[in-house]
Amino acid sequence: MPGREFSMCRLSLPATCLLLLTLAGCAKNPEAQFGWRDSTEQLIPDARKAVQKTMVDTFGTPQDLVAWGRLPVEYGGQPPGVAPAETPEEPADVTTSAEPFGHQMQLGRLVYMKNCLHCHGVAGDGNGPTARYLNPRPRDYRLGVFKFTSTLAPERVTRDDLHRVVKYGIPGTYMPSFLLLGDAETRAVVEYVRWLAMRGEMEKRIDDELADYSLASIDDEISKAKNAYEAAKAAGESAETPPSRSALVKKASEEFKTYLAEDYPEAVDGTADFIAENWARAEDEASVVFPKVARVADDAASRERGRLLYLSDKAKCYTCHGHTGRGNGPATEDFWPKPGSTEKYANRGLHDVWGNKLAPRNLRLGQYRGGRRPLDVFRRIHAGIKGTPMPAFGGTVLKDEDIWDIVNYVMSLPYEPEVPTAGQPPSQVAASSRH
Amino acid sequence: MGRFWAVFFMVFAAACVGLCLVAPQYGWWFPGDGKAHTTLGQKIDDLFYLILVIVTVTFIGTQIALGYVLWRGATHDPREKALFSHGSHTLEVIWTIVPSGILLFIALYQMDVWAHYRIKTYFPQKLEPVAEVTARQFEWRIRYPARGKKLMPTPQPDDIYTVNDVRVPTGHPVAISLRTEDVQHSFFVPALRVKQDAVPGLVIPVWWEMTDTGTYDLTCAELCGWGHYKMKAQVVAMPEADFEAWKSQTAAEQFYDGVPQAAAEVAQRPADE
Repeated sequence: MPGREFSMCRLSLPATCLLLLTLAGCAKNPEAQFGWRDSTEQLIPDARKAVQKTMVDTFGTPQDLVAWGRLPVEYGGQPPGVAPAETPEEPADVTTSAEPFGHQMQLGRLVYMKNCLHCHGVAGDGNGPTARYLNPRPRDYRLGVFKFTSTLAPERVTRDDLHRVVKYGIPGTYMPSFLLLGDAETRAVVEYVRWLAMRGEMEKRIDDELADYSLASIDDEISKAKNAYEAAKAAGESAETPPSRSALVKKASEEFKTYLAEDYPEAVDGTADFIAENWARAEDEASVVFPKVARVADDAASRERGRLLYLSDKAKCYTCHGHTGRGNGPATEDFWPKPGSTEKYANRGLHDVWGNKLAPRNLRLGQYRGGRRPLDVFRRIHAGIKGTPMPAFGGTVLKDEDIWDIVNYVMSLPYEPEVPTAGQPPSQVAASSRH
Repeated sequence: MGRFWAVFFMVFAAACVGLCLVAPQYGWWFPGDGKAHTTLGQKIDDLFYLILVIVTVTFIGTQIALGYVLWRGATHDPREKALFSHGSHTLEVIWTIVPSGILLFIALYQMDVWAHYRIKTYFPQKLEPVAEVTARQFEWRIRYPARGKKLMPTPQPDDIYTVNDVRVPTGHPVAISLRTEDVQHSFFVPALRVKQDAVPGLVIPVWWEMTDTGTYDLTCAELCGWGHYKMKAQVVAMPEADFEAWKSQTAAEQFYDGVPQAAAEVAQRPADE
């Protein structure tokens, strides 16, 4: 009997191994994860952990979404009970409506994972597996900035704007039309994208609050101290040796402990309020751009006025879009500084806030990324294009009538022959034709 | 053992025929409701069914012959001497001429449908295209002339644009100009039996005549890149009057300037469209 038991034990080990080997291929795919911003990864460990905990508590993970009641997001259905500040995504099985709370987000996530993820990435960072092959790059939602909106320059994007983009795509880019997606699916995915954008914005803004606790700022401090030390040594004075990195990280960690206890909750609260307010305000009617006057009659006189404005120092359209509208203005030949610094981009030409090189639109293609309705083009000029060097002209620089003249001129460009004198005011044209 | 194989091959053949007979009831047949919704599509289906009948008769005949030979071989007296035959000239002539005749018949008979599509009644260039359909990675962009105008080869200021939504009138043959902006695509509407490759650099006319109104799937049938599967669109066939009204409405939406007084009837929120 003992001998038999022994042989069974001896057999069980290889048998188990064999069993495990056969199961190796059955492993589930690695779970989707919301990746962290570089700025989060760059924080000192304690700060990073605090940010990551906040993000997981308030937004959850792709498998376990959290419906944070503070955000202006329609999660779908009624939140269970009296909605507290934080509502778990999956409530106990009691629900008031037919659909469980959060069903819209669940559907949105599903649609997003099927159709959007491979370009826009799990966290909406515009860095999915196919993103690297695309030019222009897919949108990184995490700044909370979207280019083609109907809202005033400082406002966020509206649901309707995102709905339009999903439905009709963006011509001239790789964003295709999802016209046949179905209304519930489109609404759900729009809500999910808004939520991802808020999530990304939240992470970025908290990181910005914690900039003092980033490794970059510590490195900065070290290099400053080093320079001071070198200078002092060169001058023959005695100086403190520059502190080591680990010592500074330790010091920052100590400081962060008090910050975490005293100021951090307030910082998170303030950021959440700020984001919630901004995203809610975008849906206000007052945030949406509507012209005060109807489109000026699209005649030769209006187009001529538009052309002169296009070339004027008031609007300066030609500096980027070129004298004949080909998108090759002199600004595309310059080196431009990076936002918030004096350092310049390595390449000539304009860049957007995501750091991608950006060609001013060639207005002669008849391709309108933000939509081809006169209203859409009006909004582009009135409120600018968010995240790009295209400024907002509405209200201050140009009157609505002026904008309509430019719209009429710009929309006529694809059908007009490109004459070499188009870039000059009429007086010069007359003068040159006399020669 | 010989008898087993004889029975096996007969059962197999019978199962094949049976499966084909029940397939339409399970929806394993033509897409949609199984009917072609264009005049030419119905003729193409007729050709398909004709060939199906010829093939079925041939299949059943040859299977029965095979079964007979197998069964005879399995049941003959093993002491019986095998019969040696060098061949039969008559037989060889028969089985050469009969299939040749059938193939020749199919080749000649189908020419009428082909000619009808490419040459005869509505040779596409005699038809004014209702729209220009441009395939691109990964969607279909469609350009219509303004109401009452002809489609021009280049875009016009009053053209009407849609994406993934091809609208055509019923009641008369319609043509589209098929283009591609990038790589090769294929305009495939299974329910209409219409399939045409879109080739870079070419403008290819495609025509059909709807037999009824309805919404039909349009897909890309040429692997065009990683987003090939996303090129789902629809072909909507509507009565002439509805088509014109739709054009007017779409044009009004497209030229909407945001001032509701000027265009009250189209002042819709995009989400409600």
